[in-house]
Amino acid sequence: MKSFIRLENFPVVMKYWQLFLQGILVTVLLSVSTVVIGFVLAMVLAIMRMSTIRPFYSLGLDKDGHEKEYGIGHTISKFNPVSFLATAYVEILRSTPVIVQVFIIYYGVFGLIKLPSFAMFGFIKFDRFFPGVVALGMNSGAYLCEIIRSGIQSVDGGQTEAARSLGMSSVQNLRYIILPQAIKNILPAIANEFVVIIKESAITYTIGVQDIMSAVNAVKGATFIITEPLLVATAIYFCLCFPTSKLIAYFERKMRRGDKR
Amino acid sequence: METRDNVLIRVKDLKKYYNRGAIKALDGITVDINKGDVMAVIGPSGSGKSTFLRSLNLLEQPTGGNIEFDGVDITKKKIPGPDGRMVRMNIDIHRQKMGMVFQHFNLFPHKTILDNMTLAPMKVKNIPRGQAEEKALQLLDRVGLKDRASAYPIQLSGGQKQRVAIVRALAMEPEVMLFDEPTSALDPAMVGEVLDVMKELAQAGMTMICVTHEMGFAREVGNRVLFLADGRLLEQGPPSEMFDHPQNARLQDFLSKVL
Ligand SMILES: Nc1ncnc2c1ncn2[C@@H]1O[C@H](COP(=O)(O)OP(=O)(O)OP(=O)(O)O)[C@@H](O)[C@H]1O
Ligand SMILES: [Mg+2]
Repeated sequence: MKSFIRLENFPVVMKYWQLFLQGILVTVLLSVSTVVIGFVLAMVLAIMRMSTIRPFYSLGLDKDGHEKEYGIGHTISKFNPVSFLATAYVEILRSTPVIVQVFIIYYGVFGLIKLPSFAMFGFIKFDRFFPGVVALGMNSGAYLCEIIRSGIQSVDGGQTEAARSLGMSSVQNLRYIILPQAIKNILPAIANEFVVIIKESAITYTIGVQDIMSAVNAVKGATFIITEPLLVATAIYFCLCFPTSKLIAYFERKMRRGDKR
Repeated sequence: METRDNVLIRVKDLKKYYNRGAIKALDGITVDINKGDVMAVIGPSGSGKSTFLRSLNLLEQPTGGNIEFDGVDITKKKIPGPDGRMVRMNIDIHRQKMGMVFQHFNLFPHKTILDNMTLAPMKVKNIPRGQAEEKALQLLDRVGLKDRASAYPIQLSGGQKQRVAIVRALAMEPEVMLFDEPTSALDPAMVGEVLDVMKELAQAGMTMICVTHEMGFAREVGNRVLFLADGRLLEQGPPSEMFDHPQNARLQDFLSKVL
């Protein structure tokens, strides 16, 4: 009977340790860049979604200059094209598989735009890595946007009322009152998203990004061993994700305690 | 301008509808609020008291009617500017002159008491920090909380929080103070300390509009009482007449339940 694991295979796999090490570097670099791009994008999307741009505002006013409560004019006047675009973006990216998005970006977008093919750190193929970061960043931007939005909405509405009643503008309210309070809810969620991205980034091996999964693939190609390199990858992913989650949970608890001064 | 006499806020036929007019939270309120008035707004639950108060500084956008504050109709999107040209009405400018105190205090939990009080004067009125802090400490002293200036809101009792909320609004030097049931969320033991501050404020000549269930306060401190029911202003007058000789049947019924 063939056994699931054959111990003698591990030394064979370990000969390729350098590939795994490179894979770890790529995965971490990929995830960090993704979170940064995703966060910036998410901030922009969240601001777009919460903006109050209403080009057809005047259609919703009656003769006296008051806002109508209903009717077609009221409906049209409420339309916010900026918010609509951001919402459409978020919903589309959240409702389609990541692998489809990665392929569209790699084969579609960067099939047209030629990237310079140089190697970062002597081995990372930029023309594979970059599309991977863009695709993952665009995807996590959609998820982080919702995280930021719900973080902002979790702040008690009375805070905004108090700030506005003191004469603060909506921007001042956001900057001095809402965001400082929302960040406590947002930061742990962003850190969790980071862990999700570490795992999700494995998908980019399909477009030739040299991450941990691509190391598995390379070993398989060279030795026809598959289970053991996968177990090595499992161990690596676990060692990256599990301590990170625990660390986040620790800081989250600490922040909560700080709240109850 | 229309500010010839003593009128600070002129409310004309104010309406606020919800659900396409199915709910008439305010159904045509007309009233003038004079400088120095201490007005108590009373009425059963759901009668529109909060909606009325919150409309005055446009926390609620009225469905109809006008609110003239300092001679400016703040329900209009465009108003005549200094040179006669129409300019966009900026509600922030008017809100600075209307202090508001909420049932649940709404202090900023991430800021100290002092920072709660100096934030708006510094950011909105561009008052230098030193000056803003000096003023804040004076006000805190007035309500007996000077020694809590560096505390955070969570460290204060309900009554202390509400006193801070009142002086936070006063730090902007408003022309009128709006109170929405400022003592309703407090332990009975702390109601007195907040009412005392409000009483002192009234005696100092502040114009005040107070939605309240404290009939004793309305009678003792107020010079006018408004009775709302179903979004309408059913009766108004000096407290003595309102409480001792109520005319409207709804008011008689209401008073028999609360007094
Ligand atoms: N956002 C809203 N949507 C729908 N109806 C509303 C809304 N806000 C208030 N109302 C309704 O408007 C009416 C007046 O409400 P309001 O809060 O002004 O009453 P109130 O006199 O302050 O009552 P209370 O004494 O309970 O505070 C109520 O019937 C209420 O249900
Ligand atoms: Mg109310």
